Amino acid sequence: MSAYLDLRHISKTYAQTRVLDDVNLQAAEGELVTLLGPSGCGKSTLLRCIAGLADLDGGTITLRQKDLTKLPPRAREVGMVFQSYALFPNMTAGENIEYGLRMSGRSKGERAKRAEALLALVDLEAKRDAYPHQLSGGQQQRIALARSLAVEPKLLLLDEPLSALDAQIRKNLRTEIRDIQKRLNMTTLFVTHDQEEALTMSDRVCIMNRGKIVQQGDPETIYTRPETEFVARFMGSYNVLSRRDAQQLFGRIDGSADSFALRPESVKLLEADDDRIDGNPERKVVDGTVHAVSILGTIVRYAIDVSGVRLTVDRLNDGKFIGMNAGRSVRLSVDPAQLLSLEREGA
Amino acid sequence: MTEKPRAGWGHVSLQVLLLVYLLLPLAATGLYAFAKNWQNTVLPKQWTLEWFNAMFTDMRFFTALWNSFYLCAISVALSLVVMLPAVFVLTVYFPKWESFMKGIVVLPYAVPGVVAAVGLIRTYSSGPIEIAGTAYILIGAYFVAVLPYMYQGIRNSMLTVSAPELMQAAELLGAKPIKAFLTVVFPNILPGVMISTLLSFSVLFGEFVLTNMLVGAHIPTIQVYLYQRSGESGHLSSAIGITYFVFILLLSMVLLKLGRRLNRGTRP
Repeated sequence: MSAYLDLRHISKTYAQTRVLDDVNLQAAEGELVTLLGPSGCGKSTLLRCIAGLADLDGGTITLRQKDLTKLPPRAREVGMVFQSYALFPNMTAGENIEYGLRMSGRSKGERAKRAEALLALVDLEAKRDAYPHQLSGGQQQRIALARSLAVEPKLLLLDEPLSALDAQIRKNLRTEIRDIQKRLNMTTLFVTHDQEEALTMSDRVCIMNRGKIVQQGDPETIYTRPETEFVARFMGSYNVLSRRDAQQLFGRIDGSADSFALRPESVKLLEADDDRIDGNPERKVVDGTVHAVSILGTIVRYAIDVSGVRLTVDRLNDGKFIGMNAGRSVRLSVDPAQLLSLEREGA
Repeated sequence: MTEKPRAGWGHVSLQVLLLVYLLLPLAATGLYAFAKNWQNTVLPKQWTLEWFNAMFTDMRFFTALWNSFYLCAISVALSLVVMLPAVFVLTVYFPKWESFMKGIVVLPYAVPGVVAAVGLIRTYSSGPIEIAGTAYILIGAYFVAVLPYMYQGIRNSMLTVSAPELMQAAELLGAKPIKAFLTVVFPNILPGVMISTLLSFSVLFGEFVLTNMLVGAHIPTIQVYLYQRSGESGHLSSAIGITYFVFILLLSMVLLKLGRRLNRGTRP
C-alpha cells in the first residue's frame, strides 16, 4: 500500500551547495513526523519544496497518490504555518482565518461559521476582531494555525512555529498543537531544531544532517539508540567515546565500531567507597573525580574525569548527592550493555 | 509597558535648536511676505496683503501652479504605475537582481541636472522622437528624476511587511499571485507608497534646473514663475514661496489622511 505522503529522491541545490541530497520520506495518514536537525541541514527547504515555494532539482512528491511535484502552491492542498506566522497585518484575526475560504469562493455565512469554529478550536473566540499587532506571539501563532486549518488541507507543514516564543508558552503550545493535530487526524510535518520539542510531540522523528535524513524512528528509539556519532551528539548530552576511551573504561570490546555512545543517565554515581553492582556482575566499577556540577532543574549533571576520559553523568535531583562538588573522588558503576556502537558518518 | 526614558535639558535643547534651524528661514520668508516695510527693525514696521493680492490677481500664477501640478501628477502617477509592479516582481521573485537595480536607480544622482538636460535636448530635438520643448520630454525627465525615491520607498515598504512571505502565505491559501498582491501586499505597503509618492511629488514641484532648460517659458511651472518674478520684488517672491509651501503642506496632509483611512487598524 502506498504512503499518504511519499517523498522520493528529493534533491535541491542552492549556489552549488547540495541542500537536499536524495531525501526519501513517507508518512502515514494522521501521523506527525518531525524533521529535526541543526540550522542549515535542509529541513526548512524540504518543507518549502513540499509546499511548492521552492523548486526541486530532482525527485517526486506524492500526496494521496496525487503527484504534487509540478503543481503551484495554491493547487497542492497543503497548509503551512511559517516561523514568523505571516499573518496579514491589514486583516483581523477573523479575516485572516477566512482568507483562504474567501479565495475558494465560500459564502460569507459559511466563512464566518468556519472562522468561529476554528477560533474556538484555538481558544481565541474573544480575539476575532483583533489585528495581528494587538495579539501576543502565542496568540498570533494560534491564529496562524487556525488560518492554515481553515482550508482543510490534506497536509499541514509547521516550520519552526514555536521558535520565536518564550519557554513556558512553547511548552503549552506544543501540547496544544499536538492535541489539535490528533483531534483532526491531520498528517503533519513539523520542523524544529529543538530535541525536546521533537521527542515530546512526534509519532516519528527524522534527524537531518547536510541535506540527508540520517536516522528516523519513534522518539524512544531515536533517543535510546542513536546510530551515528552525529545523532548521538545532536540528541543531547550523550557520552561519545572513541574505541580507545571505551576500552579504557570497559576493557575488551567486541565488534569493529570506531566510536560508542553512552547515555549519561545509564552511569551510576556512587560514593568513593561504594562498590555496589546492583546484582549485575557485568557492571564495571571505575574511580573518577568530579570536574564540574551543573543543576538543570530536575537533573543534576556531573562532568567526571575517569583515567583521562571525561564522562557526563546525569542524576535525578533528589538531594541525595549534595556535597559531590568539583574535585571530589567518586565511583562510577557502568553497564557495558548500555554502550552503543556507532556507525561511521555517511556509512 | 516600558517607561520612556526621561528627556534632560540637553535633549530638549537639541530639539529646540533643530526646530529653530528648520523653521527660522520659513518664518522669515512668511514675515517678509506680509511685510510692507521691513528694513532696520527686528519685526516689520507695517503689514500688508499687497504681495499676495498681486500674486492672486495674476493669472500667470494659476497657470504656473496648474502646470506644475499636472506635470508632477502625471510623472508621479506614471512612475507609480511602472515602478510598483516592477519593484514588487523584483523583490518577491528576483531578489538576486536587486543589486543591479540599486545601481540603475542611483544613476540620476550621478548625472548633474544641466548635463542631463543638455543631453536630453540634443537627443530629442531631432530624429524619430522629436519632443524637445514639449511636456512629454519634461514628464520623461521627471520620471527618471524620481526613480530613486520611488524605488527605495516601495522596496523598503515591501521588505518591512515581508512581502515575499505574505505572498507565499496567501498563495498557499489559494490566492492567485495578482489577487494575493491586491488583497494582501498592496494594502500593507500603501502607507510607504503614499510617502514615496508625496516625496517624489514635492521634489518635482520644487525642481527648477531641468524644467527651465527643457521647457522654460513654453510651459511655465511654479518654479519658473518664481524665477521670472523674483527680480520684481523680494516680498512677492516670499509670497509665492509661502503659497507654494502651504499648497504642498495641504496636499500632503490630505494624502496622508487618505492613506491612514485606507489602512486603518493595521498599525499600532
